Amino acid sequence: MTIQETYKTRAKELLSSGRVKMVVGYKAGSTPDRRRPHFIRTPEEADRLILDSACIANLSGYLITEGLLSDEKSVGIFLKPDGVRSLNILAAESQLNIEQIVVLGFDVNNNEITALKGEKAEDFSTLIESLKEHVPQTPGNPLLERIEAMNAKERFAFWEAEFSRCIKCYACRQACPMCYCRRCIVDCNQPQWVNTSSHTLGNFEWNIVRAFHLSGRCVGCGNCDRACPVNIPLRLINAKMAHEVLGAFDHFAGMSQTQEPVLASFKKDDSETFIL
Amino acid sequence: MTRILLRDKLDNCVARWRKAGLTVIGPVKKETFSSYAAVENAAELDLSMIMPDRSIKGLFFPQTEPMLHYTIKKQALDIKDFTPPPEKRIIFGARPCDASGMAIDDPLFGWDYKDNFWFQRRNETVIVTIACTKADDFCMCTSLKLAPDSTKGSDVMLRPLQNNRGWLVEELTDRGRDAFNEIADLLQDGSEPEASIAVVPEKFDLDACVTWLQKTENFESTFWKEISMRCIGCASCTFLCPTCHCFDFQDEGDTYSGIRRKNWDSCSFALFTMHTSGHNPRATQSARWRQRIMHKFNYFPGKFNVNSCSGCGRCSRQCPVDMGITETLQAISTLQP
Ligand code: SF4
Ligand code: SF4
Ligand code: SF4
Ligand code: SF4
Repeated sequence: MTIQETYKTRAKELLSSGRVKMVVGYKAGSTPDRRRPHFIRTPEEADRLILDSACIANLSGYLITEGLLSDEKSVGIFLKPDGVRSLNILAAESQLNIEQIVVLGFDVNNNEITALKGEKAEDFSTLIESLKEHVPQTPGNPLLERIEAMNAKERFAFWEAEFSRCIKCYACRQACPMCYCRRCIVDCNQPQWVNTSSHTLGNFEWNIVRAFHLSGRCVGCGNCDRACPVNIPLRLINAKMAHEVLGAFDHFAGMSQTQEPVLASFKKDDSETFIL
Repeated sequence: MTRILLRDKLDNCVARWRKAGLTVIGPVKKETFSSYAAVENAAELDLSMIMPDRSIKGLFFPQTEPMLHYTIKKQALDIKDFTPPPEKRIIFGARPCDASGMAIDDPLFGWDYKDNFWFQRRNETVIVTIACTKADDFCMCTSLKLAPDSTKGSDVMLRPLQNNRGWLVEELTDRGRDAFNEIADLLQDGSEPEASIAVVPEKFDLDACVTWLQKTENFESTFWKEISMRCIGCASCTFLCPTCHCFDFQDEGDTYSGIRRKNWDSCSFALFTMHTSGHNPRATQSARWRQRIMHKFNYFPGKFNVNSCSGCGRCSRQCPVDMGITETLQAISTLQP
């Protein structure tokens, strides 16, 4: 049986046994290479499930849809390791009760899809630990390497050009499972703390605010980067911040459901290089 | 007498227009992103793409622009109006759906209050449209009763020649004629066979959709919730759309002085309808998506007798979760009225 068929059967079992009330997965999109989120509530709806190497979107953000988990029933969800990490963060930051989530784990590497064993987020902890151990020392991304080689002035000019075309559609925020604030700081308008104008300065403000709020929380799923309609390479910013946080605090986001948020916790041996 | 503009004369045309004081704008592709942008020569134009990622809208209705400068003194209020600096422009190689989008929005910006920002730019800009010879899976002008060679909103229509050497010139307005008089000696008299225009299959039955939307009981249909479950509420679709036109006013500065700006806003955002009290009449994403569809295909035509959609397909092409107008209207056209 293909992975898709195995998981279809699994989704049907979960639904017909009443174990979960819904499975969040993927279905065909408007073109052959596109996949859409699929909300499966009956075993029949599971027939349209697709699971292949094109299923790369991180679906975990849908778990905190208002009201979805408030009846305390369980929900199944297809997640790659990045998705499991973001699920851990949502739990660690008290956004959901992780006991209600049944994970249907899989991974996609070099266009190959593999099934992952486990059903609770914690079943994937060994895998996530090994991901942390294997974080590459160098970026391994030609564009990021180019940016790293720039001096501060050139780097500023690079991002200025990129951000100048931002239209403040907030697709990056809406697509990001970690951007769950019911009222984002840029939407707080009594008073308006951050200007809404999408001029270059305003775009800088927005993207810098977001970079900070994602530091030590981004799991590198790429949802933001793929969502950006003007193709700003957003993932690079968060990847860079993740790298910094790992180096400074040995923090790899989403290790477990009890991991403390790096910027909201304090350890006596935290590196401290600029205050005193 | 028909006239032809040859491709190899285009660079001279650009130079001539620039010399006459026009800013020349056209489809430009830069690495991973395309838009309508100012060019200095014809080589910068990319006339081969289906359409730029960003629509033409921002050239007439920028994403942010200053409206006035205020200074509040003890006994006086000082207000300085901004108007866009005069700028004559020619957009070469607009797509028919983009050009139609501007014509669709004209009545909106000129209805109870005449928006000078919009009309100054409309009057100062010549839109030279090239008919489409290719389309992609998302193009849907024909479903909106337009076509890959619609002249709506254009000042000049160029019809590609079969041999790809150039275009047949069809001047539609005085603005267009004036601009092409500048380059009259670069045009060639005569006619050549035209390339066939793109085949864009109809994707839905618009009339059936409109009938369904107009039925008041369908406002509360469970359909809205089902179709929009995966919508994440960004503004990608509305901001890329050539016809979406909502905006917000923001004062940037402090109590004593600052700038009032007009910024794009979107019905996809929860904040769009949030009251000061915290109550939100469009509390859910499904209510917001319903608004977008109803506005485009029910309320707007009810007021201005034209749908607020030109079928460019950007909303579907670029939606992060693969939604868009097309899927929704396809689904509606299969529902019982
Ligand atoms: S910032 Fe981007 S890459 Fe990081 S978790 Fe959010 S969507 Fe994923
Ligand atoms: S998705 Fe891109 S254009 Fe939209 S707000 Fe984010 S960075 Fe800006
Ligand atoms: S339909 Fe797509 S682009 Fe439009 S608001 Fe919803 S998610 Fe964003
Ligand atoms: S609604 Fe969609 S297809 Fe219609 S004009 Fe706007 S972006 Fe284009």
